[in-house]
Amino acid sequence: MPIYAPTLPPAPDLTRGQPPALVLMRFDLARLWRQKIGRFFGFAFLVTLLVKLSIIYVKYLLGSNPAFRPMQDFARAVLAQGPDFQAGLLNPATTLLWFLVALVGGGLVARDTLYRVRPLMYAHPVRPRDYLLAKVGFASALPFAVLLPFVLLPWALSLMVAGLQGPVWPTTPLRLLPAMALISLLMGTLAAGASALAATPRAGVGWVLGLVLGTSTVASLVHGLAGIGSAEALNPVVLVQAWPALFAGVAQPLLGWVPTILGTAFHVVLWTSLAARRTRPSEAVI
Amino acid sequence: MIVLDRASLRYGPILGLSPTSFELPDGGGITGLLGPNGAGKSSLLQLVSGLLPPSGGEVRVFGEAPFRNPAVLARIGLVPEGDRLPAGLRGDRWLSMMGALSGLAGGPLQEALARALETVGMADRAHLPFVRMSKGMRQRMRLAQALLHEPRLLILDEPFNGLDPEARLGLMDLLRRLAAGGARVLVSSHILSEIAQLTDRILLLFRGRLLAEGSVLEIRHLLDRHPVELRVAGDPKALARWAVEQAELAALRLEDASVVLSVRSPRDILPRLQQAVADGRLPVHALDPLDLNLEAVFQYLTQDHL
Repeated sequence: MPIYAPTLPPAPDLTRGQPPALVLMRFDLARLWRQKIGRFFGFAFLVTLLVKLSIIYVKYLLGSNPAFRPMQDFARAVLAQGPDFQAGLLNPATTLLWFLVALVGGGLVARDTLYRVRPLMYAHPVRPRDYLLAKVGFASALPFAVLLPFVLLPWALSLMVAGLQGPVWPTTPLRLLPAMALISLLMGTLAAGASALAATPRAGVGWVLGLVLGTSTVASLVHGLAGIGSAEALNPVVLVQAWPALFAGVAQPLLGWVPTILGTAFHVVLWTSLAARRTRPSEAVI
Repeated sequence: MIVLDRASLRYGPILGLSPTSFELPDGGGITGLLGPNGAGKSSLLQLVSGLLPPSGGEVRVFGEAPFRNPAVLARIGLVPEGDRLPAGLRGDRWLSMMGALSGLAGGPLQEALARALETVGMADRAHLPFVRMSKGMRQRMRLAQALLHEPRLLILDEPFNGLDPEARLGLMDLLRRLAAGGARVLVSSHILSEIAQLTDRILLLFRGRLLAEGSVLEIRHLLDRHPVELRVAGDPKALARWAVEQAELAALRLEDASVVLSVRSPRDILPRLQQAVADGRLPVHALDPLDLNLEAVFQYLTQDHL
């Protein structure tokens, strides 16, 4: 007659490690860091950022150096310093960011699907919500981290060279950081959801771009045919442009607050629930 | 260690595993999970490894339900079927991540990595990317990730698929050593000879049902519908004359220099045969049981359930 263990047997001390979601995010970050795509986009964003900083410095020179005084009227017309300029600090980085999110985020879940890694992970003390949190968290943290210098560096430069009267408002980070968080969440959930639909990382890239372009086309069609401007709230590209404009207080933003909130909520809920559904343990068959 | 009480698993309308009950006691040893493709082996392993909850019944591993139970999962090592691993990724980096997912960090993680790689014989090759590893090496790395947290229960789904004979023997030897070290090893396969080489204890699945559990001989003795076949080499006529007088004889077949006896209860007839040979009444040169092996047991069981 066998004697069954009445309680769990002793196990090694496994409590000193990091939360599983953090382990997975760190692993994805390290992988991105080693890939050429990470270096390429790092260079592209750096150039964009330098251009932005140069523009701010030129604006400062135009305003402060008497030699440029004859050009000031022209500069004011071309280089506006109002809400549009503040909101524009994130452009064109957000456009380039869609490609980075597609190329990196498209493979986040699909790679694990291709190599059937999820059964292995779920056989460890990793819950599906840890996995989802890691993937959505990484896909959202990446655009946020990329956008952060586009707000903070121009703001710091403006403060340093021109004080409170500089081209970048002192309150700009307070206005743009929430916008960046929402943009990043939108991009991250869309990328994770699209990647969960794909069977390979390359297909994941296609899914992200396809969903972005597809929803944009549908939104434009509805807008054009039915004349419903709010339909553009379905367009993630427009939503990404709308948030900074709303927070910066642009006089005529692309979308109002209500359509932007509803559109963003629709995308976040849809793609998160889809990713959750596609990464359930029952989908991770041995 | 493992208790299934009428546990079943459904994939929508498809029944992957019929209500199944069995118990595996605590302690080391190898148990073979045997069955053809589609028999329900992977379904059963998914239940035991906590990947899926049972659709009905109960599954208990180490006394608790394994599904989403970190306390149980931390004591299980799983090696799923297949050998696909992220091609460009270095083996040691992947292993490190899997160890961290088990809750290891810092020095203990490095020690666990070194110990697991040493166990599977990959200590000097773990730095290679998976794309440069052979199939056998990748299988060893998958086994290493399951050993990192020193599990008491090791589950392997079709681990010998695609391995060359040398790698297969090496893996079998490794599993025997782990079992001797106190781990319970549950290995699934649809290749009879692999399981027969590895262990005598089997769970036999067929069409989503558990047909038998125990050692091959125990199961064979329960199959009383199928008499045991014994080939007795010697004088065929003398052997046949002796055999027809035995009540246990079900059938007899004469061959050139031997006779094949189908007997219902070999435990009763064999002592009398032994006595007759010892008395010099029967000229017997050799005795060979023909269907006391895993292959015959499997064949009989599956035939009965077709």
